Amino acid sequence: MSRLRLGLEMDGSSRGRQVHDIVKSVAHLSAVRGALLVSPDGFVIAAEVPPTIALEPLAALAATLGRDLEVGASKLGGGAFQTALFSADDGTLYLAASRIGFVVALAEPQANFQAIRGALEEAVTLIDSGWAPAPAGNAT
Amino acid sequence: MTAVLGRLWRPAVSRRPETAAELLGQGDRLRRAGRFGEAAQLVVRGLSLDPASITGHLLAAYLHVARRTVEPAKQEFRWVLERDPSHPRALLGLARIALEEGDLEGGREALVRALRAYPDFPEAQALLDGLATRQPTPPPARPRLDRLRLPASARALLALGGDGAVIAARPEAAAGGGRRIARAARLAAAALKRAGLGALRRAIVEDAEEAHFLRADATLTLAVALPRTTHVTQGLLEINRLWAAAQHELAVARDAVAGATASASARRVS
Repeated sequence: MSRLRLGLEMDGSSRGRQVHDIVKSVAHLSAVRGALLVSPDGFVIAAEVPPTIALEPLAALAATLGRDLEVGASKLGGGAFQTALFSADDGTLYLAASRIGFVVALAEPQANFQAIRGALEEAVTLIDSGWAPAPAGNAT
Repeated sequence: MTAVLGRLWRPAVSRRPETAAELLGQGDRLRRAGRFGEAAQLVVRGLSLDPASITGHLLAAYLHVARRTVEPAKQEFRWVLERDPSHPRALLGLARIALEEGDLEGGREALVRALRAYPDFPEAQALLDGLATRQPTPPPARPRLDRLRLPASARALLALGGDGAVIAARPEAAAGGGRRIARAARLAAAALKRAGLGALRRAIVEDAEEAHFLRADATLTLAVALPRTTHVTQGLLEINRLWAAAQHELAVARDAVAGATASASARRVS
């Protein structure tokens, strides 16, 4: 059974575990230092980052940046914001928009860009499938 | 506002009598797990039992933000601040919305208020750091990039100085996007710094229609909007080519200024 299908069949409590698994799978990619899922209000839903990184400030910045890119994309008429990467001398920060928040990955400079982008897209697909809006009449 | 939340997520049937505090506590736990729909049901029920609950209204605000419904979120944060003017989380929430809306001063003011009341507030401090701007460069020292050309496949090209001011825009109408790019670059730079990765050098931002390639250092930020179908390698080549052209033009301008200064000094001496 594919991971996508598993995502579709999750009930509420399993979804909580699922997001942790998704974040963990991104964090454990080759040359990735850590990953987190942060809600649009800046709250950390799941994280797997080195203890040297102060999580809350990073999450606040990532969520604000993500929202800024979302709003900017819609204002410029370019369509919905999807993914971004910001590279520096010592590594790269990846950001992808999902239904419940932003998936963030922190990678080494030598990390494989396509592999991480692909993993983030898969993570977003899994999250979005698990959190799809319920049909009319259903509360979730 | 709560009614809006209630319409979005209809309350589930309660199996046993519960207090507002229990409902809101459980709602907060679900929110922290990213289960926003279920959380909203409980918050709506909690607020129906205790409509004056600051916690309830704060949770409602968070859930609206999570759903990207800005206006009701703003109203909920304001409701909290009317009752507790220095509530740090409400101030942080309003600051973030102000930033989203491009109101930098409003955002900065709310963050400063939050930090005045609670100096040890890392999230507020991080955002305030992300808004830090350099002193504007005086106009005579700001170079022009007259020879910078918009690539054939690009929609727009923007060059910003170290202070975030637009120094070139192709077409001219693209200059309006300068502030947003400068703000995103500052936030990204602050996030990279917090993650211990160093200063921002390059960025790629993809939406459904376009891919934006950016290159930056302390004195120049260059961004070009290309079609979404552009291969990453091609986009990077394009931004690198533009970067080299801009740097060459800036060097020529610097040499011209240095030459003029030297001539003026020589005239004064003679």
